[in-house]
Amino acid sequence: MATSMTGRGMAFIRNLSGVLHSRLPALGPQQLSCLHTSASLESKTWERRNLKLFPPQQLDDLRRPAEVHHSRRQIKYSKDKMWYLAKLIRGMSIDQAISQLEFNNKKGAKVMKEVLEEAQEMAVKNHNVEYKSNLYVAESFSGKGKYLKRIRYHGRGMCSIMDRVYCHYFVKLVEGTPPRTEEKTSFDQAKEYVQNLKNRTIIHSL
Amino acid sequence: MAAPMRRTLVALHRATCSSLKSAEASLDLRRPGPLYVPVRTKKRYFVPPVVGLKRRKQEQNPDAKARTAGIVFRQQYFERPINISCTAGVFDPYVPPEGDARLSSLSREGLKQRAEQLRQSATSQLAIRKIKEYDPQFTSRGFAEQAREIFIEAHGALTQFDKEKLHSLVTERGYPEMTRGNRYKTISWRFLESLEPPKVVHARCPDMVTKGNLYGQVTVRLHSKQILAIYDRFGRLMLGSEEQPKDVLEYLVIERHLVNAYGRWRLHGKIVPSWAPAKDPIIKTVMIPGPELKPGQEFEALNYEVPKPKAVQWNK
Repeated sequence: MATSMTGRGMAFIRNLSGVLHSRLPALGPQQLSCLHTSASLESKTWERRNLKLFPPQQLDDLRRPAEVHHSRRQIKYSKDKMWYLAKLIRGMSIDQAISQLEFNNKKGAKVMKEVLEEAQEMAVKNHNVEYKSNLYVAESFSGKGKYLKRIRYHGRGMCSIMDRVYCHYFVKLVEGTPPRTEEKTSFDQAKEYVQNLKNRTIIHSL
Repeated sequence: MAAPMRRTLVALHRATCSSLKSAEASLDLRRPGPLYVPVRTKKRYFVPPVVGLKRRKQEQNPDAKARTAGIVFRQQYFERPINISCTAGVFDPYVPPEGDARLSSLSREGLKQRAEQLRQSATSQLAIRKIKEYDPQFTSRGFAEQAREIFIEAHGALTQFDKEKLHSLVTERGYPEMTRGNRYKTISWRFLESLEPPKVVHARCPDMVTKGNLYGQVTVRLHSKQILAIYDRFGRLMLGSEEQPKDVLEYLVIERHLVNAYGRWRLHGKIVPSWAPAKDPIIKTVMIPGPELKPGQEFEALNYEVPKPKAVQWNK
């Protein structure tokens, strides 16, 4: 049964991952590991990260910073254009990120600002974050949503498929001050390069 | 389809046609000429999904189409589920006397309070007699001990979050009140000891809907020492502490569906008196929304008083 399923193609297996588990109860762990059961299109793993429960901390442990995962699906915008905005606010504190997006002229900036404000409110209400400004953007990226397909008419009676693009936007806010990135000067980088060249050893030589 | 069609006409044919046409026109004859049907020879690599126009959408009724297709939809029931295994609240709640457990039993006021408490009201006695009809083994003292056991077990199940056990020890009305917001938190609770023996202070036997459908609600007064510590989703302490025990005076309402042979005494709720002392504040700082300001109005922090909630008895 397992070999016949793999012969059909990986896409098929991905769609039938749920059905597979119900149909193959008797297979051992070695045989099941060959079947690639990855996430299908409807799984919302990013939102499920908010449901993870950590065990209570002891008194001498460092206070674990609170994390909030938030996303918005099927935004009518291109994922490549959204990436520019996502890269802009990576590593900023939440107040700085919101103010930057407020005065940005792109269409995705308005949507992103709403998402950040929603996430901030969620953090204070549900995830026991004390100060709403004490958050920074740890991760922010965009992904491809489900496209609608239309016909694009070309000259000489030729046609092609036109995609109506949609994207998802994911953001993770962490409690605390944003971590400082080391600014490397060009002189330091050059020095490091020269040092790497000097560290090379020549093997099998005289 | 707006795509232009290609016509597969041969130039030679056209030339012969034109000569024939001129001959026909002169002779005024109408012969059925060859019909040139435009044929599409370009292969369609992609057939797009049909985008329904608004007109088309309005014309088609999905209901009519389903009926012609033979699909039968199940009848929609506009119902709201009602749970009959427990009542929806506490009927005629017990009003705890002011200063309960503050005065010691040795002073004169304490003795008066004790005397009042011993002489329970008539309605409570009647209710207890009704309960004894359905449950012959019911005694005030025995029931008080049983209530304490239910209480300890229920809160133990809450710390482990054992859903089935919790449902068997807490009624359907008390369950959401006990577990709201606790799903993604860790609670550590310990019952150290009772400072006073638990006592039945109040009993009522309301009947719902029909006359014979009896439920028994008994209020038990419990004075005990407990330890409570609540940790949030990330394991940080939100409330309470693990070492410091606290004296807790509680009025538990235990309910049972008397007419049901398989009914069990379950925790229904708690009564919080109006004179109850304020609870300890949580560890984090919370923002209270300020007063509504008109545009141009300044917020005067010096003269502003934080509004305090009214001291009313409420059932938890």
